[in-house]
This record gives sequence, C-alpha cells and structure tokens, in this order.
Amino acid sequence: MMRLGRRAAGMAVLAGMVLTCVAARAQDADLARRGAYLEQAADCEVCHTKPGGIPFAGGRAFDLPGIGTIYAPNITPDHETGIGRYTDAQFDAAVRRGVAPGWRHLYPVMPYASYARMTEGDVRAIRAYLMTLRPVHAPAPANQVRFPYNIRLAMIGWNLLYRPSGPLADDPGRSAAWNRGRYLVDAAGHCGECHSPRNMLQALSVTKSYAGAPIDGWLAYNISSDVDSGIGAWSDPQLAAYLSTGHADGRGTAVGPMAEVVSHSLRYLTREDIAAMVTYLRSLPARRSDETVGVVSPETLAQAGPNHSNGGRLFAGACAGCHLTDGYGRQVDFAALWGARSLGEIDGRNLVRTMVEGVTLQSAHGAMIMPAFGPEYRNQDLADIANYAIGHFGNRVGHVTAKDVAATRASVPPS
Amino acid sequence: MLTLQVNGAAHQVDVPDDMPLLWVLRDVLGLPGTKFGCGIGECGACTVHVDGKAVRACSLPASLVGDRPVTTIEGLAEDEVATEVTKAWLDIDVVQCGYCQPGQIMAAIALLKGNLHPSDDEIDQAMSGNICRCGTYRRIRAAIRNVAGAV
Repeated sequence: MMRLGRRAAGMAVLAGMVLTCVAARAQDADLARRGAYLEQAADCEVCHTKPGGIPFAGGRAFDLPGIGTIYAPNITPDHETGIGRYTDAQFDAAVRRGVAPGWRHLYPVMPYASYARMTEGDVRAIRAYLMTLRPVHAPAPANQVRFPYNIRLAMIGWNLLYRPSGPLADDPGRSAAWNRGRYLVDAAGHCGECHSPRNMLQALSVTKSYAGAPIDGWLAYNISSDVDSGIGAWSDPQLAAYLSTGHADGRGTAVGPMAEVVSHSLRYLTREDIAAMVTYLRSLPARRSDETVGVVSPETLAQAGPNHSNGGRLFAGACAGCHLTDGYGRQVDFAALWGARSLGEIDGRNLVRTMVEGVTLQSAHGAMIMPAFGPEYRNQDLADIANYAIGHFGNRVGHVTAKDVAATRASVPPS
Repeated sequence: MLTLQVNGAAHQVDVPDDMPLLWVLRDVLGLPGTKFGCGIGECGACTVHVDGKAVRACSLPASLVGDRPVTTIEGLAEDEVATEVTKAWLDIDVVQCGYCQPGQIMAAIALLKGNLHPSDDEIDQAMSGNICRCGTYRRIRAAIRNVAGAV
C-alpha cells in the first residue's frame, strides 16, 4: 500500500516536472519567436554576416577612416567562436552596454549606444532567438585598429559621455504609436547610427540628429522633417511604402545599405510598426542640410526630347531599357526614377556607387536587381551617364568626374 | 495560385511569386514565341506587352502583373498594327538570324500604338533597349518608318 502510494506520489511529481518542462519550453519558444521579430527590427543579421557568408556567423569588415578595420563577430550559438557560452546577463551587457565577457569593450560600430535604449526583456528575447540558430564555428578576423583607438579601455570614457543609461520611459504626452515609433527608430532600428552625423569622438550629434551623414562611401540622407533637405515633403503613404518595400512612387528606390536594411529588416515589420515609425519620424526636428531634394514630375520628363550628349546616348542604350526616360520605368515600380534623391545630388555619390556596385533589393515578389556597370564602361562614360541622369531626372547640373568614378571603383570591395 | 490574362484568356497558374513572367509564358503556358536572351532585362528579346506597354518578361515577377492584360507575339495575329508591322518587316527583309525579332516587333508595335508617326529620335529611344547581334537596327528603323507611312 505504502509502496503504491509512494509510486503514485513519484508519478505525480514526475508528471508535474514534465508539465513544468513543457510549459517552460513553450515559454522559451514564445520568447524566441518574439526575439526573431525583434532581431529583424534591430537588424542584427546584416552586419553580422559577411557578403555571401552564413547568416549571423560574422566576418563583415567595417572600415573606419583613420581608425582601422573592425570585423563583426559571430553571433551564432557556437561555444568557441559565437555567443554559445554567454549568459543572458553577458549578452545584455554586450548589446546594451558595449562590454563583452572579460571586460572587452566593444567599439561603437556596434550600435550599443542605440541598443542601450532597448528593454532588457527585448534583448533577452533576441538572445533566445539567436540560441535557436545552428552553431557555426567561425572566428572573426582580428581587428586592425590604430593607436590610440586600439586601447579598448578608452571606451570607458566614451561610454560615460555618450552611452545612454537605459531605455527611455514612454512620453505620456505622446501617442502610443509615437512611443512605439521612437523605440523602433531610436533604439532597435538604430536609424541614427547612419542617418545622424557624428562628432569628433564618433558619437552621434544631438544638434544635427538625423540630418544625414556619409557612411562607408555612401550618403545616408537627411531624414529629419525639413521640407527641402529632409523628408518633410514626403506623404505618410510614401514614407510607409519606402520603409516597408524600399520604393515609394515619386521618391525612388532604396539602394546600398538602405536596400540591405529593407531586405533584412524593415520589410518584415508589421503594418502597425511601420505606421508607428512614420509617426515618430514626422516629429523629428527639422535640420537643414546642403543636399536639397528636387522632384521633376513624369509629365515634364516625358516632354524632354532625346539627348545627344555622350551621357544621354549611353543612358538610352544601357539604362533606358529598364528605367526609360519618363521617370516611371519600364515595368516594375522599383525601376521608377522620378523623385529619387540620388538624382538630385550634384556630386552623384550614391548614384555612381549604385552604378558601380549594382543593387539587390529583396521584395515580396523576389529580388529586384540592377546589374553593376563593369569595366566595359570607361570612368568618363559613367560620369557622363551620371551627369545626364542628374540633369534629366533631378533638374540639376551634375558635377561627377571620371576621377570620382575611379575613386568609387577603387573603394568598392570585389564581389 | 495566380490568375493571368494572357492573349485574351484567363489562365490559372500555380507558380512561385517570384517566377518571372517569361518562365510562366514559355514553360507553363507553352508560348515559346517570346525568347530568353540575357535574363536581366538588358537585351529586350523577351519583350511582351503588359497593359499595352512593352515590358521585359524575364525580369518581371509574375505576381506583379496582377490583372493587367498580357499580350505575347502569339496573341497579335488579328491585330491591325501588328499586321502592318509584319508586312513592313517582310517588305525589306529586316530579319537576319531572327532570335531577337519577336522582342523587336513587340517593342515596335507598342511604340506605334502610342505614336503612329514617331520621329527617328523617338524610334531610337523606344527601341534602344532591344539589342540585335546581327545589327539589323537600320532596317528595323526603316520598317517602322514604313509602317508609319502605311497606316
């Protein structure tokens, strides 16, 4: 009798343990699912994957002029080279405080100063998601950082100055959408890391927040609410479309790093979250910058006759096949050039880079691809095409030279 | 499942969203008149009409066509402009090897439907995305001009 009773009690305990276990596993799965979405919002993958490499296995190089080259580490759950041995607290310290295990101070190329504004729970969820990935053994190449930047402890001072102490409390005077948008833009999405200029110590400028900045050979545009140089003239549907698909009619198509952000991050966000981001972006203070936006309507473009300059002829032969000269493009909206910001920029920085590098933008309809211009085009040819396009679509006088093209070609890593 | 309006008939096709229209036309619907050239929208061999506009079927995902009517070269037998274009093409023997010609003809018809009397500049502009390895460009331009005179 006693034996039976003991056995029953034992069974009950066992059943209880199994149930707790099942419940815990379901909770873990929920946490990981939430983390998967937050990882997309925070766009970890794009920086922690080298071109053509295994996602999250690191190795992508970041060239910081005057400072050196820093490689993104492996964030798969590999025990030796990834984050497999990190505890929640260690992962949180790396992501939100920029301090990896062993008091290794990270460089702010890892946007921990933005992530510092994320909640602890969200960062834990991201780790839970990353722990579900297949571990990949992939040591990151050693960073090559010049003195004095190679003294990692110097980051302690930087962190005191520039690292936020924690998440911002919701502003009760603003809508829930605005607060959610601020969280997605300032914290998880870390938009300012590219779109805000940096000061001499590589910290994001507060007085010129979101006024645009050069990054990695590209120009991240002014996304403040300034009407002439920011996004003040964009409509809400245009902003939402651009964020969620990489294209907005009358505003062109995302290329370069922004195409990556759309491909890996923004296109997965819910409609509500995109709308929240739009709400918040609208409220950014207007910051005037040099690059103003000029929009030439398709009606005007369609009336322009053929152009017999070298650039005009080359455009007709090499570009008009997809883009046409009417601004609408031949078939997919993604090829519509009217209103594209890169064509209003007289030095053609992003335009030339786009021609030299090509574009791949992932969409719900598959990849939208623009092939790169190869060596069969002389530097002067690409400069002529760029200046023609800036004149035709942007109604400005382009100043692109063969030297600019040569410099861009030299700076683009071989694919 | 997508529904495509091709040459006046509705077709239900079970294809991935990112499958290019050209694949659907040739491999699923069995319309091989439209040719594969470069696959990246640079040569024009795969030109078809979507809602009357000349598009490159090789780089247009089928899911982006929607309910806009698609016309391939097979679907133009009864078309008046197409008949004139064919005649003009034969009159001066435009074709050499012929591979790019379905695309050339589709581009020419789209141009002429929007503008029956295009100038040489307008012809060049409309046809510039269609490449011909045999170099029949001058005859193509002349044939288009002849159609403009005939219709």
